[in-house]
Amino acid sequence: MTGVILIQKNKFLSLDFILVFIVTCLVSIGLTAVYSATHIAVQSSGEYFTKQLMVAIIGFILMIGLAFIPFRYIQRSSYIFYGISILLLIFVLIFGSRGYGAERWLAIGSLKIQPSEFCKLATIMAVANFISKSDVDVNKLKSFLVVIGLMIVPFVLIVRQPDLGTSLVFLSIILPLLYWSGLNWFYLFVIITPLITFLLSFNFYAFLGWMIVISLILIVSRQKPIILIGVFLLHIFVGLITPILWSQLKPYQQQRILTFANPEADPQGAGYQIIQSKVAIGSGGIWGKGFLEGTQTQLRFLPAQHTDFIFSVIGEEWGFSGVLVVLILFTLILLYLIYLAGMVRSKFSSLVIIGTATVLFFHIVVNIGMTIGLAPVTGLPLPFISYGGSFLLSIFLMMGMIMNFSMNRFSHSV
Amino acid sequence: MREFDKNKIVTKRMALTVITLFAFLFLLSGFLRLQVINRDQYIQKSIDNSIRKIQLYPVRGLILDSENKILVDNRSSFSIAVIPKVINIEKLKGLCDFLQVDYEEVQDKIKKLYGFRPVIIARDVSNEILIAIEEQRQDLPGVITLVTSKRYYPDNVNSPHIFGTIGEINQVERIMNPEYDQGEMIGKSGLEKRYEKELRGNKGSQFLIVDASGRELGNYDSYQDIPPIHGSDHYLKMNYRHQQIAESLMTDNRGALVAIDVRDGGILAMVSKPDYDPRLLTGKIEEDVWNQLQNDESRPLFSRAIQSGYPPGSTYKLVAAVAALQDKIITPKWKANCPGYFKLGRKTINCWKAKGHGSLDLYGAIKNSCNVYFFQLGLKIGLDSWSKYSKLFGFGSPTGIDLTNENSGLVPTEEYFNRVFGENGWTTGNLANLAIGQGELLTTPIQLAQFAMILANKGVYYKPHFVDHLYNYSTRTTTKFPAQTEYVHGIDDEVYDIIRKAMRMVCDGGTGWLGKVPGIETAGKTGSAQNPHGPTHAWFIGFAPFEKPEIAVAVIVENGGGGGAVAAPIARKFMEIYFFGKLVPRPVVKVDTTNIPSVETIFNPIDIEPIRPIHINR
Repeated sequence: MTGVILIQKNKFLSLDFILVFIVTCLVSIGLTAVYSATHIAVQSSGEYFTKQLMVAIIGFILMIGLAFIPFRYIQRSSYIFYGISILLLIFVLIFGSRGYGAERWLAIGSLKIQPSEFCKLATIMAVANFISKSDVDVNKLKSFLVVIGLMIVPFVLIVRQPDLGTSLVFLSIILPLLYWSGLNWFYLFVIITPLITFLLSFNFYAFLGWMIVISLILIVSRQKPIILIGVFLLHIFVGLITPILWSQLKPYQQQRILTFANPEADPQGAGYQIIQSKVAIGSGGIWGKGFLEGTQTQLRFLPAQHTDFIFSVIGEEWGFSGVLVVLILFTLILLYLIYLAGMVRSKFSSLVIIGTATVLFFHIVVNIGMTIGLAPVTGLPLPFISYGGSFLLSIFLMMGMIMNFSMNRFSHSV
Repeated sequence: MREFDKNKIVTKRMALTVITLFAFLFLLSGFLRLQVINRDQYIQKSIDNSIRKIQLYPVRGLILDSENKILVDNRSSFSIAVIPKVINIEKLKGLCDFLQVDYEEVQDKIKKLYGFRPVIIARDVSNEILIAIEEQRQDLPGVITLVTSKRYYPDNVNSPHIFGTIGEINQVERIMNPEYDQGEMIGKSGLEKRYEKELRGNKGSQFLIVDASGRELGNYDSYQDIPPIHGSDHYLKMNYRHQQIAESLMTDNRGALVAIDVRDGGILAMVSKPDYDPRLLTGKIEEDVWNQLQNDESRPLFSRAIQSGYPPGSTYKLVAAVAALQDKIITPKWKANCPGYFKLGRKTINCWKAKGHGSLDLYGAIKNSCNVYFFQLGLKIGLDSWSKYSKLFGFGSPTGIDLTNENSGLVPTEEYFNRVFGENGWTTGNLANLAIGQGELLTTPIQLAQFAMILANKGVYYKPHFVDHLYNYSTRTTTKFPAQTEYVHGIDDEVYDIIRKAMRMVCDGGTGWLGKVPGIETAGKTGSAQNPHGPTHAWFIGFAPFEKPEIAVAVIVENGGGGGAVAAPIARKFMEIYFFGKLVPRPVVKVDTTNIPSVETIFNPIDIEPIRPIHINR
């Protein structure tokens, strides 16, 4: 009980300074990179940096502010927040303004926001709120379906924008959240394996081999025969429907996936980004070319270098050493969040932290992997670093909330 | 259940931590591979990306005359070029329409070239087009304007057949000259082609930093740059004032004039008429202009001075005379009778003077250009000897003048006749014709000018050339044209003396009396060559001064009539300009003397010809 008294006596000191420190480092690195990526070549270069700096300051204040609001308000507002987010997504589909061939923005006066970014947080909160209720068990079909339902609604709305990268983020959140809330391994298996089936169904022999492996596992699992047959049929179905789904993808989405497989096949077209990004990073060497000295960056060989390919800028100008620092910072924050998720008493807090960590993890791995050709070009921004107000703000909100949880780690769920 | 089971949480935390660390290592290994292991390869790639080596083209050398007056200069012109790697194909089509150039052709050009080197698609564009392009610069990535140079000829400079033209290099020329880039300019004819290597200078290079859109941002490392070297300036032997007067003398004629300095072989003037304005073939060449020049029946593109093949007519009697004297077939005192006709077998050939010349020795025959005398002489010397001496004097082969596409003419030999007419298909009649410079024999005016030079110098001659010296900008030295002294072997001085004396007589009251320069001993020979195209070609060859020759001249006026009446005055006037810098007034005999005094003294302005040719019989 002494701890609780301490927190109440000196509230400011109980702020999670580890988190504040890492976030501040990453955002500063991000601002530096945005400055470098936009400083010469674009006429309105100052705008980008100033805008990002303003968002960072506002976001930072919001983050700290969020840390100090009463803990319970957050959980209680979950469904409302979720509802508003879904409404905004529907608005985007109806009134959205165009950008890069997709409707992602909602213009309110001169302000453009991207509701899908905030929806990630809202969805995590809604799912966490649902699971943390005392009568919910994710191993029961009804609860399981509600969780899936909460995810599927924003997923479908965002796929229709279309924004494949962001919509995949929603799918990626499901697994860790369910895992964290104690889902049976067999159910996890049933959820994960169709994805692998999906990937392997492009090659018949791989698909055949994989089906044999699945059959063996199913036999070992000692579940009811009807479930076994159902799961097996599901896999066959996925294998059959994949080619049809592939043809449903927009050409640029197909192109991105194909280019990921072999960027050199189309050096002037879709592979251009990956090649130029690899050249930028590779030429950075161990110590980098120096701030504002990256030729690939400053001569604008990198496409989307202030947004999706910002990490190439860091790789070129700061070299392997700079990359190592950023990667370590990212890893530290992820490990710290996982640690925190185990520390907080509230189930809701724990789940939101895991969900947030998943979002960060997915963005980081896919974005950075993309810059070195280890992941497809999906248009996912890099947390804390990439230019883009909505995303940075949503990340700050997530962090603010986690700071709140961290301060109230001994509180119970509602 | 509002809280998680602590024990289970630890396991799950471990699992997630492992996954996170694994991802960290996965990404790290990727960066390790790019930035540490393959670092050099990517550094090179980034340099290739952003550093571009561009060619700097030198200024083409100038052509100047003996008084350092610029004859061929350069002026800048603007060209529109595209960078193949950057250009947008749809924009290109619009651009081609705007510039009125053939889209297919441009596409071909671009396909062959990959990368950042600009390809010129329109040369010498107008200011309006230039401004329009510059205004839309932002919307036309990969389209640039280049300052290129084109040939510029100062006012009053003409002579297209001497200077020749330059043009974009074609496929064949590129194979032969691989050091040229596509779209570079190369000499196509005349001095421009002959001295291409010297005129073009040395290309330089510069390393530039470029951005992703191909825009040049500045120097990369100016110490590595190599400046281009100005092409050598070529100084001609001629005083262009003389050439201008020679051209004006030939105006309205078809034909050629060649004047050589007999002391070094330098060309003093070379005219071929009709000609064309060389400005028509600089920069952008209009297609209809080109077609018009190509299809003009008077063939203005054709340099009559070196590319033609004319029967030389009576001027060639000198060759027969040399052959006869040197082979001791006759002495100058040998006489033949000219009754006005000559019977050869069943044929009768007329002398040009129907009444006949009566009995003539060699001097008389040359002075009066008697055909009958030379028919007989021709039969005496025979074809072999005639061919041998023809070739000794350089006929039948190019003179090697520093122009291109020179014609070698034709000197028939026995072997040639056997080939063309068959073993017994030709007769002594062919030989008789050759002796008076008719028949199958073909010569160029430059060959006849060279022949006059040989006679003037008694066997010594020099390869005819325009360029006297050139100034090389890389070595900063002046190089004299390597004078090539030649000598006609096997002809005695006495023979030359006889011929030269006869030639002087031609001008002193002979058929070529109108070719005599007042106050200067002049030697010459007229000719009126029969041809299938109409009236005879008027010929005159000559040299002066007689004792210490400086200049040799050959003039032909196609279908001009008599050589003495038409060609000789032109040669004389040119020599007057050469010796005195002006035309010399002289008494004029008018054909119609009813109203005008029969003799009058006037100054002849150069470009007006008040004197009508005097119709005299040779």
